[in-house]
Amino acid sequence: MTALTPCGDWRASYAADTTIFPTRNSRIALLLGIAILCCAPLVFGRYELSLLINIGFLGIAALGLNILVGFTGQISIGHAAFFGLGAFVSAYLHERYHVPVLLCIPIAGVVTALIGLVFGAPAARLKGLYLAIATLAAQFILEDFFARAQWFTGGVSGRMTESPVLFGFALDRDETYFYLTLVWVIIMFVGAANLMRSRDGRALVAVRDHYLSAEMMGINLAYYRTLSFGIASLYAGIGGALYAHYLLFVSVEAFNILFSIQFLGMVIIGGLGSVMGSLMGAAFMVMLPEVTQWGADLLAGSSIDRALKLGASISFLREMVVGAAIILFLIFEPDGLARRWRLIKAYWKLYPYSH
Amino acid sequence: MKMQILAGAATLAFALPLAAQPIPVGHLMDNSGATSDVGQPYGQGVADALAWVNSRRNGINGRPLNVSGFDYGYAAPRAVSQYQAWTGRTRVVAIQGWGTADTEALVRFVTRDRIPYVSASYSAALTDAAGQSGRQGVEAAPYNFFYGPSYSDSLRAMLQWAAQDWKDRGQQGRPKYVHMGANHPYPNSPKAAGEALAAELGFDVLPAIQFALTPGDYTAQCLGLRNGGANFAYLGNTAGSNISVLRACQTAGVQVQFLGNVWGMDENAMKAAGAAANGVVFPVRTAAVWGGEAPGMAQVREISRVSDSAGNAYRPVHYISGICSAMLMVEAMETAAEGGGQVTGERIRDGFYARQNWVPRGFEGVCNPSTFTREDHRGTLRVALYRANVSGDTTQGSVAELMQAGTMKIENIATIDLERRRDWLGW
Repeated sequence: MTALTPCGDWRASYAADTTIFPTRNSRIALLLGIAILCCAPLVFGRYELSLLINIGFLGIAALGLNILVGFTGQISIGHAAFFGLGAFVSAYLHERYHVPVLLCIPIAGVVTALIGLVFGAPAARLKGLYLAIATLAAQFILEDFFARAQWFTGGVSGRMTESPVLFGFALDRDETYFYLTLVWVIIMFVGAANLMRSRDGRALVAVRDHYLSAEMMGINLAYYRTLSFGIASLYAGIGGALYAHYLLFVSVEAFNILFSIQFLGMVIIGGLGSVMGSLMGAAFMVMLPEVTQWGADLLAGSSIDRALKLGASISFLREMVVGAAIILFLIFEPDGLARRWRLIKAYWKLYPYSH
Repeated sequence: MKMQILAGAATLAFALPLAAQPIPVGHLMDNSGATSDVGQPYGQGVADALAWVNSRRNGINGRPLNVSGFDYGYAAPRAVSQYQAWTGRTRVVAIQGWGTADTEALVRFVTRDRIPYVSASYSAALTDAAGQSGRQGVEAAPYNFFYGPSYSDSLRAMLQWAAQDWKDRGQQGRPKYVHMGANHPYPNSPKAAGEALAAELGFDVLPAIQFALTPGDYTAQCLGLRNGGANFAYLGNTAGSNISVLRACQTAGVQVQFLGNVWGMDENAMKAAGAAANGVVFPVRTAAVWGGEAPGMAQVREISRVSDSAGNAYRPVHYISGICSAMLMVEAMETAAEGGGQVTGERIRDGFYARQNWVPRGFEGVCNPSTFTREDHRGTLRVALYRANVSGDTTQGSVAELMQAGTMKIENIATIDLERRRDWLGW
């Protein structure tokens, strides 16, 4: 079910066994997909591009959380704080030390990963609910730090930052920033897919599936649990840095616990333990408010609006739809969009003999 | 006959695209987010005023305004993505904005794209249009405008009133002033300015007391207030959490003169806080409030009918302020359109500079006169101070009924004209 390889396609080498895209068609589809995305700025307006950019940086951060939650079986409800840390580190490095923005982004990722290792230390010993509470502490400690560290974050009034510059050419428009985000999305997603077929990636999955068996097989639990935190923070940091240089304004307000929960929502809706699912979950979370807004606009002033006397409450309707969609997902598609996508692919592949 | 019809059709065909091409305008509002309690009446005021301009004044020189409203729920990233939609797709020439979150996130964008942004965030940092104040963290905001005094200037006016009030009541010694609020850009905005002026005016400035932006139990803060012996306390948060403080302090029996802020007290908050709101002094941006009489109130009532055809809704102070900020933008657009000029962002900005002591036409006695210059976007330094007067039970009846019955009153106690001090620019 998982790969749907044609009958008679044997794997004769390790390379064939661990390949990410098992069939020729899937490789062609991937390259075609990237090529189409590269043309997006020619077709789409700034609004559509800004949605795609949002999906990009949120998807990177969601992927980090998916490595932690979906692949390692840990939990974190402080992901937004690490996302914020990446944003602030990048903005700070650029302003204080005039490091070029393009360099700031990976450095922010590494710094966030290091801090993430520190906060991930409790994960070496804690599981489940206790770990959730420990990461909640990370969320509050970092949030409070952002609000107070004037030198670093500009305090509660936030920090302005600048667009990246490449060879004197400022990437300050959506059309250009889109490419930067796309490059990072490709790097980070390929990186994650590669990680998952490496020795370390398999160890993470083993820790998730049964920690006791994993330990008996010689996997160092404390090491891999903490490592998973570090990787998740690396992704959050890079996503945050991309966010910072896109919005050009970073404020502590954005990185609250609700945002952390939203990341968890993306991972669950996208599909726990699926690399592509993280991107789908992010896309869903970005698009849902837009779609419901569109629906609310249609409804506003219509006969339904008048009949039910909705008026100003229409905007609350939108918030409720977001909540309802998440609940419906958990009930009807707990394995997320990634599974649904696989089912759709299978349907067409096996047509008309699927059942 | 046929010729006439043809000629008529031809004139129409030529005239329509020129005259009736709508002017796209963006309107960001918070109807569902953290600040929706005050965001709703303000946003309604802006929306009604712009709709009224279209229907009664035939738009801007015959061109209707095409207003696209968006409820961004006080989330800055959503405001930014909507901004992209507006500048990319509808090509708005001006934006009516809302709070601290969206305004500050968009400063650089609107400066780059040259789109005037009329906010309801009155942070003094936005007034330094040319970036000449040299204050840390303040940068040029040449396309940011707002109607009314800045947060800092409102607090300065209340402090001047407080110093006078202290003398008038024949009190001895130095009065004690304390700033209360969350550690958040909005309550923090006037903090340093207020504490500096308080010290200048001879107050003892006590260490600031923190309380969260959300409603909660703030008895501890009230007892701190009493132990410190504060006489005047500034409430920097929005209405919901201020009400919690007022009620907690009433229960604890703390006698302090509270100074509210412009978003921290209104008729709805008075109803919610009940007797605890009695005596709170707060700034009001307009020269008249609902139910008051002024030449411009006829227009305000007419605008109110846009969303309330029955004509009996009570409109809180924020609604009328929303009208004034919308009308400033409308007149700046009219100036840009004069003599067949194009309505572009740059020309609208220049429209803001065209008048001195500017009161939108037809809103005399309602909107306070504003003056904007290229260096100084402190539109007005006149602050009307009102006192909340609650004399009975506010749990029964609507705000309109309570105001009608006189159970709740807001009374003008002073109008302070601040000096346009150079060192207060951007602060």
